[in-house]
Amino acid sequence: MDETIQRVAETVLRAPLTRRNVHELMYCGFGGLAGVAGFWVTVVLLLSGLTISASVIGTVFGLVIITLALRFSRRLGSLHRRLLRRLLGHQVEAPPRFQPGTGILNRVDRRLRDRAAWRVVWYSLIKLPVSAVQFYAVTLTAFGLVNMAYPAIWLLFRNHSGDNLSPLVAVIPVPFGGNFQISSWPGTFPAALAGAVCVVAAAWLARGINAGDRRLVRGLLGPSSLTERVSELERTRALAVDDSAAALRRVERDLHDGAQMRLAALAMNLGMAREKLGTDDGQPDNATVRELLDAAHRNAVDALADLRDLARGIHPPVLDSGLASALATLATSSAIPATVSADVGTRPAPAIETIAYFCAAELIANATKHSYANHINIKIYTERTGVLHLEVSDDGVGGAEQGRGSGLSGLAQRVSTVDGRIDVSSPPGGPTMVTVELPLRA
Amino acid sequence: MRVVIAEDAALLREGLTRLLEDRGHTVCAAVTDGGGLLAAVAEHQPDVAVVDIRMPPTHTDEGLRAALVLRQDFPGTGVLMFSQYIETSYSAQLLEGGAAGVGYLLKDRVANVAEFAAALQRVAEGGTALDPEVVSQLFRASRQRGGLATLTPRERQVLALMAEGRSNAGIAAELVVSGGAVEKHVASIFTKLGLPPGGSDNRRVLAVLRYLGGKPLA
Repeated sequence: MDETIQRVAETVLRAPLTRRNVHELMYCGFGGLAGVAGFWVTVVLLLSGLTISASVIGTVFGLVIITLALRFSRRLGSLHRRLLRRLLGHQVEAPPRFQPGTGILNRVDRRLRDRAAWRVVWYSLIKLPVSAVQFYAVTLTAFGLVNMAYPAIWLLFRNHSGDNLSPLVAVIPVPFGGNFQISSWPGTFPAALAGAVCVVAAAWLARGINAGDRRLVRGLLGPSSLTERVSELERTRALAVDDSAAALRRVERDLHDGAQMRLAALAMNLGMAREKLGTDDGQPDNATVRELLDAAHRNAVDALADLRDLARGIHPPVLDSGLASALATLATSSAIPATVSADVGTRPAPAIETIAYFCAAELIANATKHSYANHINIKIYTERTGVLHLEVSDDGVGGAEQGRGSGLSGLAQRVSTVDGRIDVSSPPGGPTMVTVELPLRA
Repeated sequence: MRVVIAEDAALLREGLTRLLEDRGHTVCAAVTDGGGLLAAVAEHQPDVAVVDIRMPPTHTDEGLRAALVLRQDFPGTGVLMFSQYIETSYSAQLLEGGAAGVGYLLKDRVANVAEFAAALQRVAEGGTALDPEVVSQLFRASRQRGGLATLTPRERQVLALMAEGRSNAGIAAELVVSGGAVEKHVASIFTKLGLPPGGSDNRRVLAVLRYLGGKPLA
């Protein structure tokens, strides 16, 4: 029992000294600022938009201002999410991207119905009192720190007697606190103690209010409503369809430029060889025929190799014996030394395995091309929660970006078709670590 | 025969060059894209050009588009399209300006060197050489329109061979019948397709063109 109390007390008292506390307080400060500013901009824009559109001649102008407010809200939402991620490391998915309509009317209409933006408006309204509490936590910490410094300040600046100095004033910014005056060095101790209490209290206040804020962000700034889920599914379905069409086109192209072309050449060589044998009336041109047959033979072998590569690209046969061995095979053929550690419990659905395999292949190819790494590490494991994790990391130069049109964004698209996600960490200078999360069932 | 080859796959380009040179023809130029083809034909004024349909940069139909320009600007040069696929719409476009000096063969046909060379010769001399695959596809397309419904199976066979560019004698040899029998079939086809007897033997080409061009048959 005593031990428990001691442990709890330790946790409570140490909280202000943790790194986390610094982050929580920074979130209070910046998040609070963003909250207050966002609140005012949103309210001013919406109210003026509503007022103007209420008058007959201003309707259009008012609507434009309201759409402006909603556009702003979208941006504000992503700012809040970013702050939460950067400072508290809490990832909230963005709601589906806004789908602009065509034509001015349609566009305005879509904006006004943009539920994600309206939810940000709600968030902004609720966030104002939250911001007040967050600012309070910051203030409390600041005053607390100053108070704690009083004994030292006294020793540094009041160590000369005789001067007729006004007493120091310690401010305790709590309702039952208030100011008290200090006129001697021992008198600074209560101030310091009160300051320490403030700092501890502020740390827990910050944690508490930020936890609440996190819930608000997740509830109002993340994707949640059914309609948004539907539009997300529509988007990813379109990606899936495009992806499979592109894959078929690739197969056709590979066949056309590879096996088909080689077989045509093979047929041509054989045709020419037959002519050489047939027309020379018992005097076949052996050297030429042999040369033609050699070429035909080469073409046949090459066509077989092409077809094998193509078949493997469609579905690697080794995948049938599980992801672990497929990735091991993949690793052995990597140009940069690669190690695989696999811990796959329940076997994922075949489609998921295929996606994971091609993600790994693409990531290894990326690393080989761009990273200048000495080693690639591939990790695959399943979590109890039913998520398949694939991690491909290298010790290369970093700087990989998930920009438009890059291989990574292609992967992200493919992964999103089964509600998976991809996370890239690749600071300039390295190392690069790409994490792919996939559900076990598509 | 003087030939220009446009084919982006090096293997086939060199193979064709060798095949034709073996048979004593002159390959004036072997190029890899549509622009190169037009330049080479303008420079060498060959008897015939062998043109791959899919070439850089887009790998779709630049060969066909170059061929259409050739048909317009260099009527003296026969064009043999050479492809791994037969597209009905391609054959129709190619034959729009008439079937003289036009060919469209699957790349597979090169396996029979003698027949391929003969087809090329025919196109160079202003004749026609259509792949049996082209013909059967067009048959299928026009049967759906009901236009060829009135033809007997034998007449269809004859029309198919006509479309390939064969002469009556050639058709007779292929079907192992007499020349007279072929002539009778041909006349019947003309009647059924509503091509009145006139002084010109263009009816032959017209019969083929009627459905190759995708126009409804009379």
